[in-house]
Amino acid sequence: MAQHGGRKSTKRKQIDEEEHPQDLPPNGALEMLTDEEDAGDASSDDGQVDAFPEIVAKSDSDNSEDGEEEDSDNVEEEDEEEESDDDAERDDSLHVFPQAKVVISDITKQLKTVYPEIEPDYDSDSSTEDPPNRVGNIPMHWYDDMPHVGYDMNGKQVLRPARGDELDKFLATVDDASAWTSAFDKNTQSDKPLTPEELDLIRRLYAGENPDATYDPYEPTVEWFTGEGKQEIMPLSGALQPKRRWIPSKWEKQKVMKIVRAIRHGRILPSKPKSTSKFEPYAIWSEPSSSHPPPLPAPKPRLPTNAESYNPPEEYLPTEEERKTWEEQDPEDRERDYLPQKFPSLRLVPAYDRFMKERFNRQLDLYLAPRVQRVKLNIDPNSLIPKLPSPNSLKPFPNYRSLQVHHSGNRVRCVSVSPDGAWVISGDETGVVSLWEINVGREVKRWKFEGKIGALGWCPRTDVNYFAVGIEDAISFIIPPNVDASVLSPTQSVLAPTTLPPPATTPSPVKWVTPPSSSWSLETPILTIQLPSTSGTTSNFSWHRRGDYFASVSSGGSVWIHQVTRRHSQAPFKKIKGAVQAVLFHPLKPHFFVATQQYVRIYNLSEQKLVKTLLPGIRWISSMDVHPSGDHLIVGGYDRKLCWFDLELSDKPYKVLRYHSRAIRSLQFHPTYPLFASSSDDGSIQVFHSRVYNDLMTDPLIVPLKILRGHYVTDGLGVLQVKWCSKHPWLVSSGADGSVAVWCS
Amino acid sequence: MGRLKVKGKAGAAKNYTTRSAAVKKLQCSLADFRRLCILKGIFPREPRNKKKANKGSSAPASFYYTKDIAYLAHEPILKKLREHKAFAKKISRALGRGEWDSAKSLEENKPHYRLDHIIKERYPTFIDAVRDIDDALCMVFLFSSLPSNSRLPPELVENCARLSKEWQLFVMHHRALRKVFLSIKGVYYQAEVMDQQVTWLVPYQFTQSVPSDVDIRVMLTFLELYQTLLSFVFFKLYSDAGLVYPPPLDAVKDEGGAGINAFNLQDSSRSAPTQQVKTVSIDGRQISVKDVKQTIKAISANSDADTADVEMPGTQEDQPEAEEEFMFHQSSTDTGSNASLPTLQALSALPQTLTTNLFAPYTFFLSRETSRSIFEFVIRSFGGRIGWPASSGAGSPFDESDPSITHVIIDRPVVKKEETPAQRELRLQRKFVQPQWVIDCINAGKVLIEERYLQGQTLPPHLSPFGEYEGAYNPVNTIEVKDTADMSEQATDSEEDDAMEANDDVADAVAIEDPAALRAAELAAEAAGVDYGTFEAKVKDATKRQGKRVSATEDDAEGDMNKMMMSNKQKKLYEKMKYSQRKKETERTTLEDRKKELLLSKPGQAPPMSAPPRLLHTHLRPLPQLVPSLVLPYAFLQII
Repeated sequence: MAQHGGRKSTKRKQIDEEEHPQDLPPNGALEMLTDEEDAGDASSDDGQVDAFPEIVAKSDSDNSEDGEEEDSDNVEEEDEEEESDDDAERDDSLHVFPQAKVVISDITKQLKTVYPEIEPDYDSDSSTEDPPNRVGNIPMHWYDDMPHVGYDMNGKQVLRPARGDELDKFLATVDDASAWTSAFDKNTQSDKPLTPEELDLIRRLYAGENPDATYDPYEPTVEWFTGEGKQEIMPLSGALQPKRRWIPSKWEKQKVMKIVRAIRHGRILPSKPKSTSKFEPYAIWSEPSSSHPPPLPAPKPRLPTNAESYNPPEEYLPTEEERKTWEEQDPEDRERDYLPQKFPSLRLVPAYDRFMKERFNRQLDLYLAPRVQRVKLNIDPNSLIPKLPSPNSLKPFPNYRSLQVHHSGNRVRCVSVSPDGAWVISGDETGVVSLWEINVGREVKRWKFEGKIGALGWCPRTDVNYFAVGIEDAISFIIPPNVDASVLSPTQSVLAPTTLPPPATTPSPVKWVTPPSSSWSLETPILTIQLPSTSGTTSNFSWHRRGDYFASVSSGGSVWIHQVTRRHSQAPFKKIKGAVQAVLFHPLKPHFFVATQQYVRIYNLSEQKLVKTLLPGIRWISSMDVHPSGDHLIVGGYDRKLCWFDLELSDKPYKVLRYHSRAIRSLQFHPTYPLFASSSDDGSIQVFHSRVYNDLMTDPLIVPLKILRGHYVTDGLGVLQVKWCSKHPWLVSSGADGSVAVWCS
Repeated sequence: MGRLKVKGKAGAAKNYTTRSAAVKKLQCSLADFRRLCILKGIFPREPRNKKKANKGSSAPASFYYTKDIAYLAHEPILKKLREHKAFAKKISRALGRGEWDSAKSLEENKPHYRLDHIIKERYPTFIDAVRDIDDALCMVFLFSSLPSNSRLPPELVENCARLSKEWQLFVMHHRALRKVFLSIKGVYYQAEVMDQQVTWLVPYQFTQSVPSDVDIRVMLTFLELYQTLLSFVFFKLYSDAGLVYPPPLDAVKDEGGAGINAFNLQDSSRSAPTQQVKTVSIDGRQISVKDVKQTIKAISANSDADTADVEMPGTQEDQPEAEEEFMFHQSSTDTGSNASLPTLQALSALPQTLTTNLFAPYTFFLSRETSRSIFEFVIRSFGGRIGWPASSGAGSPFDESDPSITHVIIDRPVVKKEETPAQRELRLQRKFVQPQWVIDCINAGKVLIEERYLQGQTLPPHLSPFGEYEGAYNPVNTIEVKDTADMSEQATDSEEDDAMEANDDVADAVAIEDPAALRAAELAAEAAGVDYGTFEAKVKDATKRQGKRVSATEDDAEGDMNKMMMSNKQKKLYEKMKYSQRKKETERTTLEDRKKELLLSKPGQAPPMSAPPRLLHTHLRPLPQLVPSLVLPYAFLQII
């Protein structure tokens, strides 16, 4: 009770203060405290004051002075009266408390105020009501399963009030007008109407306003320190102001001055100097340049020629077809980038449409095209041709065809001239060998053999007179007709001696056959060498200069050296690398040349060893011949090359000539004149002058003298063999067209 | 045993770099590399063996010298290009963010590169530079005639136009022009500067368009270099000639289309005193504001005086003698200020040859259809006075009615019209020549007669003054003379009787045959009634001729045979040379044949005489040239 009263009194006190701030009695008028009240006073220092408002009204401010003015009772009475007056006045406006009556006490006969009895259950305000449930502020769902909802003051269970079903609830809401402003109170488990304040609060929250009704967002500002007459004049502290407050800083000044000086001296630039796009030329070449050489200047474009004129001579104008070809060509292929045009006057000349493009191309050339420095030869091309002595000064050499002998259209593979130079034998592929005079071409004798004639060779001896004929795989020896008797008998004795030399100890596959002397005639050979049948046609003969030995090469590649006097044949090589094309005896030394397909090997026959291998670089050697001095060798090939070897020098050719348009078939040095000739499948014979010097320092002189034409090319074959006449500068050539020609000087 | 050789570490593999490798090494874009190459004048090289240079690969590549690339790597411009790349990034970022302020300040501090050091490197001496300005001049003249657009800023075109005019001005002032050629592509000019032949091509005055297959960026890079080069060269040329460079431009005249006349050539000696003032102030005490102001005032006053003093170029041209004199005075007075100049000036003041003053006695007037830019330059370069109608631009020193006009350059057909006696008088006083006359006069080095160039005449062909290669077809050569001579000979031959001819033939055939045939021929001749003496003479003649023929063929055959003794290399070279000779030969012969055909097809007409007639005006004709100049027309008359 006391507590409740105290709360009320604070409220009242506040209201009093607001309404009558002036009416408040001075501090001294607060003596009316009962004894009990004093006690209570001490306990309720912090505002929980006594129930009686008049006592409590000034309790806050009185507390300190309580002890001093406790005993002044008189004053208390007066105060009481005053207070009651005040109360009466107040009651008009605020009927919070029941009206007090002033009556005359029965006992003291004095006036006393009688208050109506307070009924605790009825008259107390709601706040003083004890909440029946005393569980406090706990989650109420703890009691969800319980029949009670808490406990009251006395520890008795507060039973859950009966709640109607949903229909009742609905009916209640319909009946009760205030149902929508009430809320369910979990503590009491019942609906409680919301107070107007709460409703106002909800409305404010709902409207998004400040929930505090008393809050005024537009309060007028109260200026405390600004404005007229409100400035603070006096400093808060009495300390003296430091000097630095009004003197400029020395250090600052020094720092600033440092920057200023730097700016003045140009160490600091306020802003970068504006890069001026305006470019000012100056004398750039006045100071000496660096020592390194300038780059090569770019080549200048070609200067315009007459054809570029706006009014060129008429002959420069292109014809219709030239114009067409020019237009059809790619711009890169064109020789000129414009077509000559003619305008009658300058005013009619139009703009050149490719001007920009041409300038651009020039610039592309300048930076994209690789530049190459070329030495332009300003020489007469004819000066490149070597200066050689004129052929006229090198006469005699075969110059023209003096006569021709025909072999009825068969290929004349081989031809041979007698050592005295008066007779020629020629053999063709049908087996015909004919003997004729070189001077007039009269045929003296004709032999007919079975099989191809592959090679012919006249024995170089002058005391005897016979020749060898290679027919297929046999070699026959024939004595020409009309031989002088003084020559005939030695010849016969050489070829068919009465006493045969003893046969070799080792059996040879080569048979030497002589028919009986009774059957000797001009028609048949006096001696025949039968080579092994597998060797193939004899394709090449080479007589030793003495005339006793001769070597033969067969198309199968086998090489035999035959000795006539001993009637003996031997194979000098057990095995030869590559197919042998030609063999030769050295004219002076016991050397033997063997030409295989790509190499020429020189063997020493007496020592039986290889002396040298020559590398002509020809794909397929066709023929070779050695110079009568024995120091030089010429080799001809089917790949049109002719190689001249100086045997003293090197195994590589001294000179390689390629002048025939087809394969070289045959070569020969003249035995006495400084001449050699080569024949080719292009149907021509080339005659050279070849002077060889004895001193080792001078190179041999080779001068082309004459191209002899006269043979026809048949089946891709031209002149098959050339042979020199030993006493004259005459040449005998046999061709695939079946003719044999003699070329005289 | 030597050290093992590692492949690709020496020789061509090391000396050459492919372009992509170079770009990678320089760490720049291909466009930057191109720009560097253009500016520095570095171009690809052709290695002897591409495979070796490309480290075994035979893929197509362009090679540069590795040393060139190493040299590029130290180029300050490369650094600037990198800075520019960073700048471009920054500014695009600023613009993308809308930070205009920072973009502006970035733009103000944009990195720029200068090309001075490159000019000095590429052209260590002035002569080198002059030798190489051909391309630069062509480009500048071309770009000065291009319309400006977004890629070609107007300042660029303007600068090109200024440079081209400065060059023309210098050539005119120096009388350096030597040859002019009107071609279908444009006008070729050749000037002689510092003993170097400088040739440039100027397009005719039409709007040039940039074709789509032309990369304008490449051209602009070149132009950048060329502009710098030309301004340095002009500076040197002008200052050596004692002129102020750049020559001040009169804006008012330029607006009026005065062209070259808008520039004032100023003698540098006139501005010398102001320079002295300047140097004094710099050398002496510190300059106060007052001093500077005073100096400025002084300078402006001086320049005012200058402009007031300087005559109009046209009027200068009026008195060439006076100008010469003036020049001379200059050289004699200010010897102290520039020691090197007097010699040069003296050189230029030397009595010039006659040809550079070719048009000095004449006064020309351009009619409106002729190109003023060409003829003003050409005529003034050779000392002539020239005027033009107002439609061709302002600044003409005289108008059409001027009585001093001797020649009118006109390029339109003759139109008959009524004329007043005064007009007729004027017409008779003047020569109306076609433009080609001026150019032909210059190329011939003398004043030609105007008759063939008069208005309405068919012009003689215009030939290139630069000549052709040696042995080329020369249209001036009168091959027709020889031809006609041959023909006449033939004619006389035909006049002779048949018997004689028969005898001739017989004698020919018999000449070197056996004596029996000779005897028979002799008898036949006797029967025909020919004198024995004459017969013998004929036989001798025939034998001689035949002998000649035979020997010629023999020589040929010998030569052919001797060819087989040539080495393979020589043979190839020989064939190549022969091929080019044959080609030139066929070219010449086709032209000659065509000319003959043309002559035959138009027998009535005078043959198109290609050589400009060399008859001279008497007052100009030098005596020693008289005789040779007469020879040709004589032959010419004979043909007709």
